[in-house]
Amino acid sequence: MPALGRAALLLSFGLVLYALVAGSYAAWRRRRRLALSAQNALLASFLTTAIAAGILWAALARRDFSFVYVSQHISHSLPLGYALSAFWGGQEGSLLLWLLILSGYAALAVWLNRGTRELMAWVVPVLAGVAGFFAFMLCFVSSPFDTAPAPADGAGMVPSLQNPYMLAHPPLLYLGYVGLTIPFAFAMGALLSRRTDERWIVATRRWTLTAWTFLGVGQLLGAHWAYVEIGWGGYYAWDPVENAALMPWLAATAFLHSVMIQEKRGMLKVWNMVLVALAFCLSIFGTFLTRSGVVSSIHSFSQSPIGGWFLGFIVVCVVFSVALIYLRLPILRARTKLESLVSREATFLYNNLLLVAFCLTILWGVTYPLLTQALRGETRSVSKPYYDFFLHSFGLPLLLLMGIGPLVAWRRASIRALSRMFLIPFGVAAATGVALVAAGFGSSPPGLLAYTFSAFVLASIVLEFVRGRRATGSVVRLIGRNRRRYGGYLVHAAIVLLAIGIAGSSSYQTVREHALRQGQSMEIAGYTLTYNGLGSKQEANALATRATVDVSRGHSHVATLHPGKNTYPVEKTTSNEVSIYHDPRNLGDVFLIADQIDPNGTLYLKALVKPLVNLIWAAGFLFVFGALVALWPDAVEQRRLAERYASGAVAA
Amino acid sequence: MTKVAARRSPARLVIALSVAAALAVFVLYTSIAGAGTPQIQPSDLPHHAGQVLLVGKVVSTSGDAHSHGGMRFVLRDVSHGSPARATVVYHGSVPDPYRIGREVVVTGKLRNDVFVANTDSLTTKCPSKYAPAKSKT
Repeated sequence: MPALGRAALLLSFGLVLYALVAGSYAAWRRRRRLALSAQNALLASFLTTAIAAGILWAALARRDFSFVYVSQHISHSLPLGYALSAFWGGQEGSLLLWLLILSGYAALAVWLNRGTRELMAWVVPVLAGVAGFFAFMLCFVSSPFDTAPAPADGAGMVPSLQNPYMLAHPPLLYLGYVGLTIPFAFAMGALLSRRTDERWIVATRRWTLTAWTFLGVGQLLGAHWAYVEIGWGGYYAWDPVENAALMPWLAATAFLHSVMIQEKRGMLKVWNMVLVALAFCLSIFGTFLTRSGVVSSIHSFSQSPIGGWFLGFIVVCVVFSVALIYLRLPILRARTKLESLVSREATFLYNNLLLVAFCLTILWGVTYPLLTQALRGETRSVSKPYYDFFLHSFGLPLLLLMGIGPLVAWRRASIRALSRMFLIPFGVAAATGVALVAAGFGSSPPGLLAYTFSAFVLASIVLEFVRGRRATGSVVRLIGRNRRRYGGYLVHAAIVLLAIGIAGSSSYQTVREHALRQGQSMEIAGYTLTYNGLGSKQEANALATRATVDVSRGHSHVATLHPGKNTYPVEKTTSNEVSIYHDPRNLGDVFLIADQIDPNGTLYLKALVKPLVNLIWAAGFLFVFGALVALWPDAVEQRRLAERYASGAVAA
Repeated sequence: MTKVAARRSPARLVIALSVAAALAVFVLYTSIAGAGTPQIQPSDLPHHAGQVLLVGKVVSTSGDAHSHGGMRFVLRDVSHGSPARATVVYHGSVPDPYRIGREVVVTGKLRNDVFVANTDSLTTKCPSKYAPAKSKT
């Protein structure tokens, strides 16, 4: 079986190499049949990669420890679901997952766009080039099919990865990361084929939106996993590996907004090319960060030689993109110009600049240790205060712009129209701000600003729905008529919920820690926590020790929580198992951590009360719903696009 | 001429002003709030007096991080080769994966040859593998 896996990967490598070379030649010399052959090779590479992936999954399911990868990542006692999830638990499996998704996406993109021959002729070699890099890594640098004499049992899985979220979080992130390759390939294909009109944007809009949604949901799931599993009471730590996923998401967010300006007004063509290349290169950079071990991270995966390969590939991608954009500058001139600094396109431009500035400051923070080491011979790193500063500096204006942008007219807006549009949202925001100050929320100025701006944005979104409903008679019909616009508003509402949740749970949280003996209590933010005993239970692959803590508010008992620890004999480690009470009254959590349990039964209980934190997770559902509305095929739009690009259909 | 140029380039003006504003904010931050914390290993510790991030592998450990005296552990450089060791005194939460041989990061400063760590600043790297280097066939 390992030999079959290796053969399948070699075949994949051969096929994508053929697609790259033959596809480039065919596009250059305009050989239609050869271009089709290259497309077919790319389609076939998905099948061979799927076979390789199937073999690895089968080995994990059968616990075939003769595969080094299997013996290093799972054990006999590991439940089947987690054993299968070990596919993306290690480096070689992650690379294979990347190639599997990329070849799948590439096959779908080729299939859906087979009508746009000229553009696809160059898209295929670009996709094949990226796939070729991953296939090369899997064949010659980091193979999941290495074998060794099988040990009696495997090393097992890190306990924190033994969580249902780990079944979904990494694949979703990969679907997002890898998905950004498609718009990149179309953008480069458009430049290579000199077809720099809006066609490539139309063809990739849904791809970008899909990748962006996966990346966003993947990050939210990761944050929730960290919240319920890691046991430190937070959900985001500005760690380089977390930032690695946030940066391409921010670049893709900017791109999703700026393409609207190119579609509507024919502007920002160069900027869009830069953004799509930036998002793609950052997605590769994320893998480099996680896999190279060059930056200190709590997530640090084992150091490996693949970092150098990734760095080389990033350099190639950056040089290729920059050179191509530079060479095509003459055909990337805007059709129109920005007429006024007070217009919708101008607000989108501000939004883009803030998003990119935020993205680049994060990149600066992540690479700061490398730069200081190179320039000063001393590694220095920045931490939470640095990132928080820029989150407030760029995030709060971005939040405000989210309420302003959609209400401002295209081309030019008059002061009178603006005052009419913003009267109600401004009034709602002012009233909210005053009420919050009166209620004592002024203790955190960023929190207060976030709440006030959120009220402004929510009011402007509601106003848009009310106005639209008046015109159409029903919200469903309204959304149906312009799914992209109203789907976007729903996503904006999700971001507002996210901002409120983050502001509430970080700016206004309470933390207490006490050593408690059985029967003793502690107070926190109006809750009384009483420690009522300790118990142990043998589970499938761990010994679970749990404390019983009663939670009451006033004189009412509201919940019984069981924070504790799991001891894993195979992995020879313990893990914190937190216990959480979701309070429907303030949409917040009472979050308990058994920091330490002494042999005499003394419990070192760490308690956090995090107001509004559940809005963050609720935002995830609204985010997905909004994205689905925006993604849903729109017959009217399809007709409009078909008329505009009558010379060739595009699969948008 | 000037009028025409001004009319032709508001987008460029916006971009230039925004980039300048962002850079100004950045320079302000790095000049006022400082430019990061040094990240060092035990062999470099004697050369740094202020707040640092100490990275190393745990050689030995004793005591209780929640007791008055705290937990004491000894760190060595991550890569072998240096005989340097740093004794750390720590109070607060101890991450689950913490144990001898694990790579940790802790913030604090050197006082009388002992590295006094900030409360709750200890983080342990999560390894993706437990097995030693693999032998291929």
